[in-house]
Amino acid sequence: MSEVAIQIRGMNKFYGTFHALKEINLTVQKGDRIVICGPSGSGKSTMIRCVNRLEEHQAGVIEVLGTELNDEVGNIDVIRRDVGMVFQHFNLFPHLTVLDNCTLSPMLSRKVSQAEAEKTAMMYLERVKIPEQAEKFPGELSGGQQQRVAIARALCMKPEILLFDEPTSALDPEMISEVLEVMVELAQDGMTMLCVTHEMGFARQVADRVIFMDKGEIVEEGPPEDFFNSPKEERTRTFLQQILSH
Amino acid sequence: MTALDHAEIRAMGPSLTESLRRRYFSSPGNTAISLVGGALLLWIVWTVLNWAVFKSVWTTPDGTSEVCKGIDGACWAVIHQRGRLIIFGLFPYEEQWRSTLACVAMLITAILSCVPWFWNALRLAMLWVVGFAIFYILMRGGFLGLLSVRPSEWGGLTLTVFIYAAGILVGMPMAIAFALLRRSELPVISGFIAGLIDGVRSLPLITILFAAALIMPFILPGWLQGDKIWRVIFGFGLFFAAYQAEIIRSGIQALPVGQEEAAKALGMSYFHRTTRIILPQAFRNALPPTINQFVITFKETSLVVIVGFFEVLASGNAAYGSGEWSFAYVEVYVFVGLIYYVFVFSLSRYGAYLERRMRVGQH
Repeated sequence: MSEVAIQIRGMNKFYGTFHALKEINLTVQKGDRIVICGPSGSGKSTMIRCVNRLEEHQAGVIEVLGTELNDEVGNIDVIRRDVGMVFQHFNLFPHLTVLDNCTLSPMLSRKVSQAEAEKTAMMYLERVKIPEQAEKFPGELSGGQQQRVAIARALCMKPEILLFDEPTSALDPEMISEVLEVMVELAQDGMTMLCVTHEMGFARQVADRVIFMDKGEIVEEGPPEDFFNSPKEERTRTFLQQILSH
Repeated sequence: MTALDHAEIRAMGPSLTESLRRRYFSSPGNTAISLVGGALLLWIVWTVLNWAVFKSVWTTPDGTSEVCKGIDGACWAVIHQRGRLIIFGLFPYEEQWRSTLACVAMLITAILSCVPWFWNALRLAMLWVVGFAIFYILMRGGFLGLLSVRPSEWGGLTLTVFIYAAGILVGMPMAIAFALLRRSELPVISGFIAGLIDGVRSLPLITILFAAALIMPFILPGWLQGDKIWRVIFGFGLFFAAYQAEIIRSGIQALPVGQEEAAKALGMSYFHRTTRIILPQAFRNALPPTINQFVITFKETSLVVIVGFFEVLASGNAAYGSGEWSFAYVEVYVFVGLIYYVFVFSLSRYGAYLERRMRVGQH
C-alpha cells in the first residue's frame, strides 16, 4: 500500500479578516503527481506554501510525512528539509555560484561532507542539463537555466516531496519547455510533486490528479482525462475555456 | 569609404592638440575662460609650493624656533621638533618605541582583516585577539621588564588608532545584533531595540562620552567599571552601533523576501539563513553607507579629548601650544590634516575596491 505524504483536513487560512483558504481537504500519497490550477488570487500558491509552513494556517490539520504542522512542531526546519520547493522567481542566492547554491544547505543542514555534496550537486546539475554552468553566478544565466538550477538545488536535499509554485510563469516562452522537460522526467522517476501551474499540456501528460481552485476553495478534483474532457462544475468549464482558447 | 575605415578612424580618435582645442579653445569666450582659469590654477599651485617647499624650513639644528624667524615659507621644523608629541602624546619619551610598535601592530591587524583570506569568523577573531594582545602588552607594560604606562598617559596617533579600532570592534557586533533584533517578530524586543537606537542617536556623542567617563563610575559596581578608556570605547562603540544597525537593517530590507523564503524552504536554520544568506547580501547592499560611517567615525575619535584623552588632534594642539612654537599652528594642522587624509582616503579606496570585487557575479 502506498504511504500518505501529505494530509490536509478542514484547513482554513486568514489574512486578517480575508478568508484566503476555506475548508481545504486533500490527501497526497507518495508518488502522486498533482497539478493545481485556478485563476490568480484563488489561493493555490497559498495552499502549497502552507505545506512547508512558509504560511501558517489558522484552523484545521496539515500533516506532512507523518508530522502535524502546528506551533508545537519542535523544529520546522527538519520537515522543510524533506519538502523541496521551486519558486516562480527562482530565488537563487545571487552571491553564491551555482555549485554553492546547490551544496550550501546539504552541507549546513544535512552535515554532508563538501566532496559528497559537490558530487551530488554535479549529478543533479547534469540531470537538469547544465553541469557546465556550475562555476557561474546565477546572474550570468538565462531564466530557464536559473529555474533548472533551482530545481537541482531543491533535489540536492534529497526531498520526499517537491512543491512547484508557478515554476514557468516568469519565463520567456522559449524557455518554458526546457524547464517542463526536467519536470516531466522528475515525474516519471516517481517524485511526489505538487505543481501550481497553468501548463495544461504538462497536466495532461504527467498528472495523476488535477485540482481546480477558485476563491480559496477546491472546486473540483479528478484525473486529467475527466477534468479536461468532462468538467463537472460551471466555474471549471469557464476557466478551462479561457485558458485553452489561446 | 568602407566600414573598416570608419572603425580605424574612431579607434585613433582626434589628436591631443585637436581634442584640447575642441574642449577648451572652441570659441573666443571659451578661450578667455580657459586662459584665466589656467592662470589662476598655476598661481595657486605656485603659491602653495612656494610656501610648503621652496621657502620652507625643514629642520631645526638647535631644537629652538630660531631658524624660522623671518622666513616666508612653512616652518616644518615644528614637526621635526614636536612631531613625536603629535604621534605619541604624553607617552614616556624613552618608551616611545613601544607606542610605535603598538600602532604598527594595530595597523597591520586592520590591514590584514581587509584581506579576503581572513574573512571568516575564526580567522578574524584570532587576528584581532592577537592584534589587541600585542597592542596592550606593548602599551600597558608593567611586566616582562617593561615600564608600566597607564592608559591616561597614552596619546597621539597611537591612541586615535586604538580607540577607533576598538570602538568599531565593539560596535560592529552590537550593530548586527541590534539590526537583527529590531526585526524580531516579538514586539517587546523590536520595540526595545528601536527605542535604544533612537535614544542613542538622539544624544550627541559628547554626552555619551561624558556619561561613559564620568557618570558610569557612580552607577556601575567597582568590579565592572574597568579603566576609563574601556568605558569610553564602549560608549564610542554604542554610538557607532546605533547608526550602523540602521545601515545594516536598510541592507536587509532591500533584499527580496524570496531570499529568506528560499533558505527556509531548504530547511536552513535561522542562524545559517542569517549568516550565509541574509547578512552577506545585506552588507553588500549597505557597503557605500557603511564606508561612510567608518569615515565619519574615524574623524569623531577627535572628540575623546573632551574626557581627557590626548588623541592626535589634541596632541597637535599641544605641539604648538608652547609659547615658542605658537606661530606654527598652520603647519601643525596641515600635518595632522594629512594624517587624517591618509587614513580616510585609504578607507575610501578600500571601499571602492570592495565594490568592484563584489560586483563580480552580480549582473
